[in-house]
Amino acid sequence: MMTAAGSAARERQGKYLVFHLGREEFGVHVLKVREIMGLQDITAVPQTAPFVKGVINLRGKVIPVIDLRAKFGLEQAEYTQRTCIVVVEVKHDAGAMQMGAIVDGVSEVLTLQESEIEDTPEFGEDMEVPYILGMAKVKGKVKMLLDIEGVLSTQDVHGLEQLRRREGAEAA
Amino acid sequence: MKKKTVSAPRPPSAAPVQPEEMLRQLSESEAAVSPPAPAVNPLAQDPQLIQDFLLEAREHLTNIEARLLEIEQGTTSEETINSTFRSFHTIKGLAGFLDFVVLQEVSHEVETLLDRARSGELRLTPERVDVILAASDYLALWLGQIEASASGQQAPEPPAPDELVARVRQALEESGKEDPAAAPEGSAMEAGEASTEVRQAEGGGARVAASLVKVETGKLEYLVDMVGELVIAQSMLRHNPDLEGVKTPRVQRDITHLARVTAEVQKTAMAMRMVPIGQLFRRMSRLVRDLARKSGKQAELDLFGEDVELDRSIVEEIADPLVHMLRNSMDHGLEGPEERVAAGKPPVGRVRLSAWHQAGQIVIEIRDDGRGLNRERILEKARNRGLIGVDEALSDSEVWQLIFHPGFSTAEKVTDVSGRGVGMDVVRRHVEKLRGRVEIDTTPGAGTVFLVKVPLTLAIIDGLVVHVGEDRFIVPIYSVREIFKPAPESIFTVEGRGEMALVRERLLPVVRLARRLGVAGGTAAAGEGLMIVGESEGMQFCLQVDRLAGKQEVVIKSLGETFRRVRGIAGGAILGDGRVGLILDMAALRPGAAVHGLE
Repeated sequence: MMTAAGSAARERQGKYLVFHLGREEFGVHVLKVREIMGLQDITAVPQTAPFVKGVINLRGKVIPVIDLRAKFGLEQAEYTQRTCIVVVEVKHDAGAMQMGAIVDGVSEVLTLQESEIEDTPEFGEDMEVPYILGMAKVKGKVKMLLDIEGVLSTQDVHGLEQLRRREGAEAA
Repeated sequence: MKKKTVSAPRPPSAAPVQPEEMLRQLSESEAAVSPPAPAVNPLAQDPQLIQDFLLEAREHLTNIEARLLEIEQGTTSEETINSTFRSFHTIKGLAGFLDFVVLQEVSHEVETLLDRARSGELRLTPERVDVILAASDYLALWLGQIEASASGQQAPEPPAPDELVARVRQALEESGKEDPAAAPEGSAMEAGEASTEVRQAEGGGARVAASLVKVETGKLEYLVDMVGELVIAQSMLRHNPDLEGVKTPRVQRDITHLARVTAEVQKTAMAMRMVPIGQLFRRMSRLVRDLARKSGKQAELDLFGEDVELDRSIVEEIADPLVHMLRNSMDHGLEGPEERVAAGKPPVGRVRLSAWHQAGQIVIEIRDDGRGLNRERILEKARNRGLIGVDEALSDSEVWQLIFHPGFSTAEKVTDVSGRGVGMDVVRRHVEKLRGRVEIDTTPGAGTVFLVKVPLTLAIIDGLVVHVGEDRFIVPIYSVREIFKPAPESIFTVEGRGEMALVRERLLPVVRLARRLGVAGGTAAAGEGLMIVGESEGMQFCLQVDRLAGKQEVVIKSLGETFRRVRGIAGGAILGDGRVGLILDMAALRPGAAVHGLE
């Protein structure tokens, strides 16, 4: 049996798909990535949080798509030719499902050794950085390695809080 | 590394054991009933074997039940008893193989009883059939427990079989006192009857023998999904603007050919999900029998249209409503024997269960020749409950619909069977979930007919594609009553808030889809756009949309766990242009539904 720390380290190294949002670069483990597709028509779903863009048709499957910029609270940018949807596989209670994440563009696939990955530094108590597995420094640039399942976890997709508030306002 | 040269001993399960072989061994040693040595049996741990066992045992139980009911109705033959015997025997053998000692023991006892019946030493009286049915129920209970524990759930073990075994043995002992040759009162095994029934049994056997393949449902669903995609891809290709330019006869011909083949493939794929409704109907025979015994009424169930096929998932979902409706017919509809005779009817009530195709739907009819619905009683009850006003005039069909109201029951006493007021509302809810409808027709003194209309399949619906602002939505056609363009003067505002529309002399509440779903855009002013009159759970309302884009047959897709809590949306569908359209859930959109929707 490996220790928890050991297994975490073992899991962290490997191949990562690198994409960017604005000037920041992120990495997602390639085993989580199903495919990368160009932006396509997204059907909005009512009563969902603003970062949920809607659903798309992925070869006959209807899958949800979220905007990672909106999710991370970054300012909105115009979608360009390079904007694309990274389709990832997310596990949840009822099994696995596919989800799309809109990113500004993808650049490369990197092989990272454990020695190149550092733990997330402490940003102070009020700066929470969940979903970040670690930081990788490659050629002087820092890439944040994302726990994409954590990012796309279904719990807060509904913006249930907002919904409740809106309904409260309507009832009043 | 050193290479191991010693070959591993062959695991005992490596060599496939034929069930027949197993059975032979078991029946040779009748001592098999005594529990085998408690050594760990590797076979009993094999989940695949257990799954196979469950599947096979359940099939046998179904067979047993059907055969027993035949025996009881007097349509018996040697083959019927033999078939029952074989089923118990197989269960016994398989159970023994997997160390399910209790199953083995119970099956063995029943087998002994059936063996005596087979050799003509004892008659299968209704009481004995009762005992055998109880045994088969008990086995089913165990199968449920085995299944639950195989999937890792905690399930309480059914009670010990001692009492049951005692009953079986008692039934066996009583046989000594009677002379089978002098069978009194229209015995179940009268020679004359038997000869006509043998043919029936053989006919049934031939159908079962048709070559069948068992396929995992997951694979089947995937195939159906992919075929749906094929249909969409094909239609996209056909309407591809680039191809419009090259309309040579050859391209035309090939595309038409593709369309034809695709349609054929789709039809076949859909047909694979279809199962005959007969199996469900036969389960109902058992219910009617039990209910009749309990309530002291006499009833016979006639089945028609057992070969009518419908989607597997609908067959599963329709079982509950059918049970409720049959209970209703048995308890409220059919009278007791004395009452029937007094009314000039034969003492035995008849319930007819039939199924047929009609206009792309399946109609299931439950017809009884009982006393019919009592208009006055229903009205009185409804007034007492405040469901309708004291002097409200209702048409007959409106009165009958009242019985679907939650908590409505005219039974004077609460019986084991019905009268608690749950039932008919459940029926309507279930049937509407299946996108179907229930209709009632009744004649006082002559009986009641329930008509359940459900679609052939749950995978595809006809929908109206409507526009609201930038978005498109699909309204299921089964819940649409009419569509009209409202005149501004037909819209009224109630206390400055709720809107009502005057439709055919009736005021219906208006739901503006754009506002309800919080969609940007949409017709702002009252009385603009289109009104769709929708119906859900007996309530009609107007849904205001911008415009209608057309009608389309769509394959329903789940939106998945992510959007489970989004109300008003039942699912998604891929429209002709490859984009996703959202299917509206009319039940959740109806006025007042929001209040209890959120939690």
